[in-house]
Amino acid sequence: MSQIRQTRRDFLRGLAAAACCGGVPALFPQLRMIGTALAGTRALTGYKALVCVYLSGGNDSWNMLVPYDAARHAVYATSRGGVYNASGNPGGLALPLPTGSQIPLQTIVDAATTGDVSQYFMHRSLERLAAIYRANKLAFAVNVGPLVRPITMADYATSSNRPPQLFSHSDQENLWHQANTTAGSVRGWGGRSGDIVRSSNANQDLSPCISIAGANRFEIGFNTVPYQMSSSGLTALSGMCNPTPCSGVSATSVRDNALNAMLEASYESDLAGEYAKVFGRGRDLYNLLKAGLDATTLATTFPSGNTLAAQLQTVAKLIKLSRQQNYAARQIYYVRYGGFDLHAGLMSGGNSDHAALLANVDAALGAFWDALGPGDINSRNEVTVFSASEFARTLQSNGSGSDHGWGGVQFAFGGAVNGGRLYSDGGGPISGFPNQSLTAPNNFSRGQMIPGISVDQYAATLAQWLGVTAPADLAAIFPNLAQFGSSNLGFV
Amino acid sequence: MNKLLRALSGCVCACVLGAGTLQAAVHDRIFRYGFDPASDAPANANEAARFLTQATFGPTQADIARLMALGYDAWIEEQLGKPATLSQPTVEQVVNARTAGGQNVGSMQRLQRWYWQAAYAPDQLRQRMAFALSQIFVISDQGSSISQYVVPMAGYQDMLARDAFKPYRTLLGDVTLHPMMGRYLSSFRNQKAGASTSPDENYAREVMQLFSVGLIKRNMDFTPVLGGGVPIPTYDQTTITQTAKVFTGFTWNDAPTSPSPNFYGGGQTFAAQSAPMACWGTELFPATGTGSNNMRHDISAKSVLAGLTIPAGQTCAQDVGDELDIIAAHPNVAPFISRQLIQRFVTSNPSPAYIERVATVFDTSYGDLGDVIKAILLDNEARQAPVLTAGDSYGKLREPVLRLTAMWRAFDAQPPAPDAYGEVKMTAGSSLIGALAQGPLQSPSVFNFYVPDYQPPGALADAGRYAPELEIVSESTTYSTGNTWYNFTARAYLGMSNPPVDRPLVNLAALTANATAPAAMVATINQRLLYGSMSPMLQATLTGMLINLNGASAAEKAWSALYLTMLSPDYATQR
Repeated sequence: MSQIRQTRRDFLRGLAAAACCGGVPALFPQLRMIGTALAGTRALTGYKALVCVYLSGGNDSWNMLVPYDAARHAVYATSRGGVYNASGNPGGLALPLPTGSQIPLQTIVDAATTGDVSQYFMHRSLERLAAIYRANKLAFAVNVGPLVRPITMADYATSSNRPPQLFSHSDQENLWHQANTTAGSVRGWGGRSGDIVRSSNANQDLSPCISIAGANRFEIGFNTVPYQMSSSGLTALSGMCNPTPCSGVSATSVRDNALNAMLEASYESDLAGEYAKVFGRGRDLYNLLKAGLDATTLATTFPSGNTLAAQLQTVAKLIKLSRQQNYAARQIYYVRYGGFDLHAGLMSGGNSDHAALLANVDAALGAFWDALGPGDINSRNEVTVFSASEFARTLQSNGSGSDHGWGGVQFAFGGAVNGGRLYSDGGGPISGFPNQSLTAPNNFSRGQMIPGISVDQYAATLAQWLGVTAPADLAAIFPNLAQFGSSNLGFV
Repeated sequence: MNKLLRALSGCVCACVLGAGTLQAAVHDRIFRYGFDPASDAPANANEAARFLTQATFGPTQADIARLMALGYDAWIEEQLGKPATLSQPTVEQVVNARTAGGQNVGSMQRLQRWYWQAAYAPDQLRQRMAFALSQIFVISDQGSSISQYVVPMAGYQDMLARDAFKPYRTLLGDVTLHPMMGRYLSSFRNQKAGASTSPDENYAREVMQLFSVGLIKRNMDFTPVLGGGVPIPTYDQTTITQTAKVFTGFTWNDAPTSPSPNFYGGGQTFAAQSAPMACWGTELFPATGTGSNNMRHDISAKSVLAGLTIPAGQTCAQDVGDELDIIAAHPNVAPFISRQLIQRFVTSNPSPAYIERVATVFDTSYGDLGDVIKAILLDNEARQAPVLTAGDSYGKLREPVLRLTAMWRAFDAQPPAPDAYGEVKMTAGSSLIGALAQGPLQSPSVFNFYVPDYQPPGALADAGRYAPELEIVSESTTYSTGNTWYNFTARAYLGMSNPPVDRPLVNLAALTANATAPAAMVATINQRLLYGSMSPMLQATLTGMLINLNGASAAEKAWSALYLTMLSPDYATQR
């Protein structure tokens, strides 16, 4: 199949889509392709990538970051049913204060506050991330969640102040991907940011949004759909030309030509047409990336038997290749790691409990940090990694685990991150690390926290770093951002 | 009369007669009561094949003939009366033999049997319905809580097959009490509130969000009921917390209750791991005083769905029964379940009127799932595809698993002989889930492989259309599914040298017979895989390919045409 023809066709479709979906901003992404200097007004230089690490199922993030001072830890421990103990308190969900050699590995200080309330410790599984925090390259955003507007418990009683379908996995995940609680959409803030920044990418065949974890709403924009790749890289298509087409006449090339003919045909059925389009894109991108990806090696060894690490290893290779080949000035990656819906076995589930999951996250992200380091890709300042998860969980135990909550803790790290501190003030009525008493004013009775920072604010901060800076663009992607006190939390 | 027949066959099934006797009895009944077997017969073999593409794991030549002879109604009635082909007994035998032989045991044993049943079980509609139900009432071996429970997971599949045509309320009860569901959504060993704990909300939430009513109130045609212009939630967080109390006290069926009660005991046999969970409520132990420490069920009053209250002081069985009765009686259930079943069998975008017609049958039959599937398949919107024009979104993307099974059945694939442990291998040494992004009881989460409301970006989303199965179609999975089709065609046909013994071998004879007549070979594929719907473009492409493959063997021509068809957008969809 002719890559150029494919590209032209997509380009024309993109223009048509832009024309119907409105507005000059939607048109800009493709302008570079018709050689106009207009695109220069948005030209982004250098290279930057966002990497979304989605922890699916609802990460119990109040056990990722825990108060270390005795007074607050006692409140936390009481709400969580006491410190877990397999024989003495199997229903308890609290982590013990670190002791002995664990103290320097786990404890951290919040540079934004002083005294007892600046003392925290991180889950014992997160030693690598704790070290990055202490190097001031990892920041926490505290009590983040979907919000329509800043609210308190009293405001919650008015239902129009509530995001739709709180506590539902699928709905809350969608709200995280959209960063917009007031209008259902198939599009996400990553894809819409991609719409804005992609005009600066030299290679328009390669989407600015790349998923190593399948379909996701986060990376869908008006002119951007994620390129979905497997963590095992690119595999040839049996019995066909790889890359396609191949020269000479052979049974293989005859089959290959037939396949390309059916993928390039037009279909009256949109279902068939969409399938053909995705398959055809797969063939184009195999052609574009296969040889380069095979030749791209990393000095860093990623841990085996860790699906998140496998995904991030592929991301690292793609970042290295994209920079070497100058494919892109801006990229947005999506990886995903599941199993966090720990209603049962949160503390005691062997190789699938919270500690085990976080250990895998830590090992995967630690290896990724190494790969970005000076001994390998050397792109730490150009890459920002951030976490997302549909909700945190109830502080209160159900006897074996925790249930669905609302606001929680997220982290971002990278060379550009202003780390070593917590970001907990979104300019609204709720701020600071929350009071974790079950009877505190901004919690529901089982310890589901009303967020102080909206997903919009968290996402907009990251999008601005990437290069989505025009107020009109931000307002288009994050229409509710103006409801909140701050449109940039400043952590990156 | 149909109901009577079904009830009769259920009774016979539960008694001692063998399957052969049962089928004969049903046939006798059907004909004695004077069906005109051909009065509603498909107009031609292509129409029959199209129906069977919707209703089974793929049309065979024999099924097409049977359907043509009986007509739609009698064919469905015959299928509704067929007893369930079961997985658990076979899987258990193989697992035991492998264990005795020092071989590892895992999901592969369940999967081999499942694919065998999909390809060969005579109760095709029942098995297909069980597969559809397994995508609503999801449990999965991708979750660590049950991944090692291979045999009882096969039992869960069997339970879905047994209940496939029973009342919805029966199915909901069996799902709720199955220990694999209990473990998957953690109602297993869930307990009443303690000093610092509340009951686990997992099952309470998902049974309402996913298995019955959904998040917002629906009309019978599935459109949202609006209040002040916005959808109305069916329940809130308080309902969840209250309903969680209902699902407390469950443990293994054989956890010892006397003389030394052990809530954490039992579950050491396959039988116990498959039997409905016991509930340690007041039916077993006193609410107060001596022995009350073993009463694990929450007996306080519960404010549940639809503003109803379950009174305090009931047994666990009463509480669970009341709760499931309340859920099953909710007006959302009929449109919510009907729409998803229509999506699995016929079309991703049913008209509101179609949903309402099926939902009405659901309601008037008290949720009889046999009546519901019949209504889905015989509806005019299922039987008559609209004329294909640009922007069409009728029909559905074929599920990857169904693309494989339909090819097997269309081309008479022959299974290998059982191995030394009695296992018939079907999957070419792979679990297939990685390549297909779909597999029986292998969803990544309780939200299935795809959600009913998935809208792929582009034309479909712009038109407000849904295409659940496209959620697992990607640049990556088009390749991995394609390579799977290659392994099951080019590397799996009768007569090849050194044939593999870990997968069925396709019979290419109907194609190789026309090795020098490309158009005739394409016509056979068109009839068998695409019920005559192959586009002129694809016919021309395949014919041209076969002409250009003039140096290839007859077998290579045949598998090339088969492989390319399986890769085609035509075959990826069904209308």
